[in-house]
Amino acid sequence: MTTSKEFFEVPKRYKNWSYGLIGIGILALLVGYFMYGASDDIHHKSRFWATLLQNSTYFLLTTNAAMFFICATILAFGGWQMVFRRVPEAISAAVPVIGVITLVILLAIVFGGHHMTHIYHWTDHETVANDKILEGKSPFLNIPFYIIWTVLIIGLWSLLGFKVRKISLEADKPMSVEQGKKYIWKNTVWASLYIVWFALTVMSTTPWLWLMSIDAHWYSTMYSWYTFASTWVSGLALITLFVIYLKNAGYLEYTNKEHLHDLGKFMFAFSIFWAYLWFSQFMLIWYANIPEETVYFNPRIKDGAYSGVFWFNFIINFLAPFLIFMKRNSKRNYTTVTIMSLIIVFGHWLDFYQMVMASVAPDHVEMNLFDFGIALGFVGIIMLVTGRALSKYPLVSKYHPFQKESIIHHT
Amino acid sequence: MALKYESQVRPPLVVGGKDYHQVTEDIVRPIEAQPSRLWWIGFLISVALLLFGVYSVYREVVYGTGQWNLHKTVGWGWDITNFVWWVGIGHAGTLISAILLLFRQGWRTGVNRAAEAMTIFAVMCAGQFPIWHMGRVWMAFFVLPYPNTRGPLWVNFNSPLLWDVFAISTYFTVSLLFWYTGLIPDLATVRDRAKLKWRKYMYGILSFGWTGSTKHWQRHESLALVLAGLSTPLVLSVHTVVSFDFATSVIPGWHTTIFPPYFVAGAIFSGFAMVQTLLLVTRKVLSLEEYITIEHIEVMNKVIVLTGSIVGIAYLTELFVAWYGQNPYEMWAFMENRANPFSPYGWSYWLMMSCNVLSPQIFWFRKMRRNITVTFFMSVIVNIGMWFERFVIIVTSLYRDYLPSSWATYYTPTIWEIGFYLGTFGLFFTCYFLFSKFFPVIAIAEIKHILKRSGDTYKENMDVVEKKAVDEVYEEAHAAHH
Repeated sequence: MTTSKEFFEVPKRYKNWSYGLIGIGILALLVGYFMYGASDDIHHKSRFWATLLQNSTYFLLTTNAAMFFICATILAFGGWQMVFRRVPEAISAAVPVIGVITLVILLAIVFGGHHMTHIYHWTDHETVANDKILEGKSPFLNIPFYIIWTVLIIGLWSLLGFKVRKISLEADKPMSVEQGKKYIWKNTVWASLYIVWFALTVMSTTPWLWLMSIDAHWYSTMYSWYTFASTWVSGLALITLFVIYLKNAGYLEYTNKEHLHDLGKFMFAFSIFWAYLWFSQFMLIWYANIPEETVYFNPRIKDGAYSGVFWFNFIINFLAPFLIFMKRNSKRNYTTVTIMSLIIVFGHWLDFYQMVMASVAPDHVEMNLFDFGIALGFVGIIMLVTGRALSKYPLVSKYHPFQKESIIHHT
Repeated sequence: MALKYESQVRPPLVVGGKDYHQVTEDIVRPIEAQPSRLWWIGFLISVALLLFGVYSVYREVVYGTGQWNLHKTVGWGWDITNFVWWVGIGHAGTLISAILLLFRQGWRTGVNRAAEAMTIFAVMCAGQFPIWHMGRVWMAFFVLPYPNTRGPLWVNFNSPLLWDVFAISTYFTVSLLFWYTGLIPDLATVRDRAKLKWRKYMYGILSFGWTGSTKHWQRHESLALVLAGLSTPLVLSVHTVVSFDFATSVIPGWHTTIFPPYFVAGAIFSGFAMVQTLLLVTRKVLSLEEYITIEHIEVMNKVIVLTGSIVGIAYLTELFVAWYGQNPYEMWAFMENRANPFSPYGWSYWLMMSCNVLSPQIFWFRKMRRNITVTFFMSVIVNIGMWFERFVIIVTSLYRDYLPSSWATYYTPTIWEIGFYLGTFGLFFTCYFLFSKFFPVIAIAEIKHILKRSGDTYKENMDVVEKKAVDEVYEEAHAAHH
């Protein structure tokens, strides 16, 4: 193994692509602003902000899922992922960057107020004063709490993630078995702190606050777990895409089909898990048929404008990974796994699209280059930040106590 | 060499410097020896409880469900609470054997056999409640959908209660198959060692002519994988369907979308607690501390704190959304009938909260996870808490319905309701005592499978690999592969 392969050198093409995509994102933002954001039409305004909300939260939660992957495997004493663990670490480096962007967007939406953005009804004092239900919710749905909690959410994800990544670098130096035990312990402590915060945010408050409150009257206890499942699968797919890219570029020598196979299994399993939560939420609301609850699904099924998106979402996020990843060979085939990962990342982006858009603009679907442009901009940011993070440190932590287990790993 | 490697940072899973022969000796010994006095005492107490249960059920069959204190509003009481409780306990075994097999968790080998047996017995106990609650139990076969001369009168496919029939019977069948096929090689070991003729004959039949040939092993392993794949969705489906019994309704406190995954988490939580209770006693009585080590206990305590916290998040989510939804009925169910400590059943809600959410948090501390007394105590606390969870869900949602004039003041079980519950304990422990006498409580073959990777003496020899550089290990593994 040559030393040059220990560090990722960001190729020119890669850089150009990421800058290009960011450029497209900025262009889309500008064009979108003049077409929609600056328009007098309230539908146009809300469409502009809704797109930003959908994309920023989706990509933030997806990159944050990479840190969840790391912490979950630390707590489970996982060894198999060690050969490529620096990859999710690098992806999670995008959390503070996208976090700041998301923060700006969320602040603009709540500060801009209902008249400018038309996203959160509960930010409008007049509406709340005339609405008993919204008034009752105001101890939770109010601007000061929203801001403080959002800053805390993003800040602590970033800080704890930073700490976990920093600890990882200690495994670049040799350590004895005894030191290894202490090292694992240290990882465990910080990973559990992260997981606790994750539970209090992604698994509960964050999706309520950022997304569920768009339909300010509607509620579903499953909502946050569903959102988690969605971004967790897409996070796994994102990790896989970077692993395959690096492998194809001649890096990650220790990583092989065995690891790919396991990533495939994860995507397979959690796509089913996502579908399980999808079904549970949908079926229970459909079965009980209570108007306060079914109102959410009306624009999404049957004659609703979003029924096409809604069912297509189910097909690409459940049926496709379920049927294709069922076979052993497809999980060990680089091409199949790449295509499936792309489908999953897109599929859950679409899931977020219907979650946000069908609530903001329930009457019609208007998906165009603006949506894709913004999405590509975020992809560019993830590429740029992840690429930089990968190039800073060795791609493999050679002295991690579980590194050798990972090398000889067999599924 | 390389394939038998495991990091020395990981604690060994088998201690006491065992070799293959010693493993067999240690685990088969209780089967070949005469049962101890302690075993007889435990067994006879269980049988006595079982007989009390049989009598309680006899009363219910002869005189009807009027023998129980169910009334106008609380139409489901102890029976359904006990049903859900037992089904929940019946989750850990198949989770350990199936999901942990798929996740390649080596520690499962120490506990899977007993946990699977426990699962099967727990599901058997659970099944009793809906069956005897039918009233005219001789009509029980009506739940089976088949073309009949009763009209034909079909079952109600829209009812989650019917889905339960399918889910639980499928789960029971597959769990039984999984457990039994895993037993076959071990039963053959017992057969081969048998000195008494009847013993050889009996275990000969039970082991289906297992010879231990490569072909047998190959099929055995593929079967394990296939059954694991089948059982995994089944484990999740059972408590999901049980949760549908409540969540598909429009009753405040029952109708909430988080129920399916939250029920599953709670089931795993209580199942692991029951595994701890049983194994802490089993390892002591049968001197199996070298196979069910403190490491196994610690790992299971981690599962308990994890699932307990998931359940905690779900409780708080429910409570929060009941308020957030601003629906007066939903709010009443949660804030008044449950969370208000001065309401008639408020105490049961807080008992549930403290047993299931607060107390397991002590397992964040390593010292507590590795303390056997604390673990045993906690394992019992958790199952008390989980029983109250079902009681809270069922009774507090029912006892005050929409018509205040029919609000029953209080629901308390009769002696026959309690007797029925005690009877299932009798059934459960009678089965478990028989199991621990006649079957190997630890999977002998599977322990041997991990011995050279996770046994303590073998791990010491891994110094050689530990000292090698990563690249060197890679080169060797690479060379061996090609």
